[in-house]
Amino acid sequence: MEPIIEIKNLTKQYENGRGIKNINLEISEGDIFGFLGPNGAGKTTAMKLMTGLIRPDYGDVKIFGHSITEDYERAMAKVGCLIEIAEAYSYLSAFDNLKQLARFYPDVDYQRIDEVLELTGMSKYKHEKPKKFSLGMKQRLGLAAAILSRPKVVILDEPLNGLDVEGMIDIRKLIQKLADEEKTTFFISSHLIHDVELTCNRIGVIYNGEILNVESTKTILRNYATLENYFVSEVERNGRLSSSVG
Amino acid sequence: MAVFQAALVNELEKLYKKKKALAAFLLSLAVIVIGQIIIVGVRSGFGLRTAGSMEFPMLVLSVVVNTILPLFTALVTIDSFSGEFAHNNMRITLTRPVSRLKIFAAKIAAISLFILATLLLLLIFSIIAGFVFNTNSATLDSLVRTVFSYIVSLFPMVVLALGIVLLTNLLKSGISVFFVSILIFLGLKVLGVFFSQYSSILMTTQLDWYNLFLMKSFPLAKIIRQFLIMLGSSVMLFTAGFYLFDKKEL
Repeated sequence: MEPIIEIKNLTKQYENGRGIKNINLEISEGDIFGFLGPNGAGKTTAMKLMTGLIRPDYGDVKIFGHSITEDYERAMAKVGCLIEIAEAYSYLSAFDNLKQLARFYPDVDYQRIDEVLELTGMSKYKHEKPKKFSLGMKQRLGLAAAILSRPKVVILDEPLNGLDVEGMIDIRKLIQKLADEEKTTFFISSHLIHDVELTCNRIGVIYNGEILNVESTKTILRNYATLENYFVSEVERNGRLSSSVG
Repeated sequence: MAVFQAALVNELEKLYKKKKALAAFLLSLAVIVIGQIIIVGVRSGFGLRTAGSMEFPMLVLSVVVNTILPLFTALVTIDSFSGEFAHNNMRITLTRPVSRLKIFAAKIAAISLFILATLLLLLIFSIIAGFVFNTNSATLDSLVRTVFSYIVSLFPMVVLALGIVLLTNLLKSGISVFFVSILIFLGLKVLGVFFSQYSSILMTTQLDWYNLFLMKSFPLAKIIRQFLIMLGSSVMLFTAGFYLFDKKEL
């Protein structure tokens, strides 16, 4: 099957030595790919590179065959994303915030805006301004913005940040519903191992800016009791390899 | 083109929904009211003839192009760039299927339309105030020249906005951009006084270029030269500003 997202030799190094090194990944249609790693591992850097917010030192990301660095508009045409904290214009209502984004997509009308507000449980706050929203409500609005255009690919960086248990369950159900019914491909980063285990069908572990392994959730859970055990084992194995090389 | 239009409509909606644009319009009207009160006061208190109906709009223009209009232009430009960078709002648009060039151009187009709207508002209200309160000295020729003076004042103001856009992409904080803009503005004004032979290339001198259209002998060569200087400055400032905007990491 043709990969929808192709990441080749993606490298970005910051002055402080952090960043990502030589990342290669292929994501296929229908994948709910979990990008698992501790804080500072390089998850957000990779996602910012994937969405063109920062430029790579080397390498490229192709979405539906279009390079993010050379053909941004086409590459992002079927992509929805939420990177880091969900931001919204504080002086516009939730509805008006989504209306701003809807203008970039010819097929998105006011009815669709109401639909995504309903899906994310934000309908009753549609005329309120985000400056009064809690972190969880802002996150829900960010998710509504990410799925507004009925994207084929959704890139979510820590989507469960700030959500309560009920919110986490709702969003997890929403992700699974979109993946099942609309064949939406998800690329989700998280440091919450339990949630990645419950939501994702393929998992990539990133540590110190490098991909340690990519495996399907089924295979992992066949060989390890929990995803946490797998993650610890991968990190330890990599640590031993690094120290033996050093 | 449809994507650029969407970005432009978005920028205009943001300008409209923010209180700053409204405040700018209200302050512009206040300038006319205060100006008219002073003129009426001087006329009735000292018995002096101050401004005729068509002289009043020109008096307003000469004051605003060197004071409140550059100030509003700076505030709106800083808000559109530095403000959105600071609040991480730039990310909302930059992760949509729209190139950075289109977003950058849409922002500048929206700022230019804001300046044009302010100028037209000042023109209409100052003409009305001039007709209502002052002695009638209007001719069709003076009306046309007045309208033209207001419209051509847009060009130097756009050059100024592009200069500020460059600063917003160079400096992180909006407050720094504001103060550096004021310092550069004052610096250029002083340079224009000391080196008057070179003043035509200075941004601050260009603000008064509408005077060229008021001369009886229409100085076409001088107008074209000034226009080309402004066009050249705009191209350079736009390119430099976009280069930095395109490289910006968010």
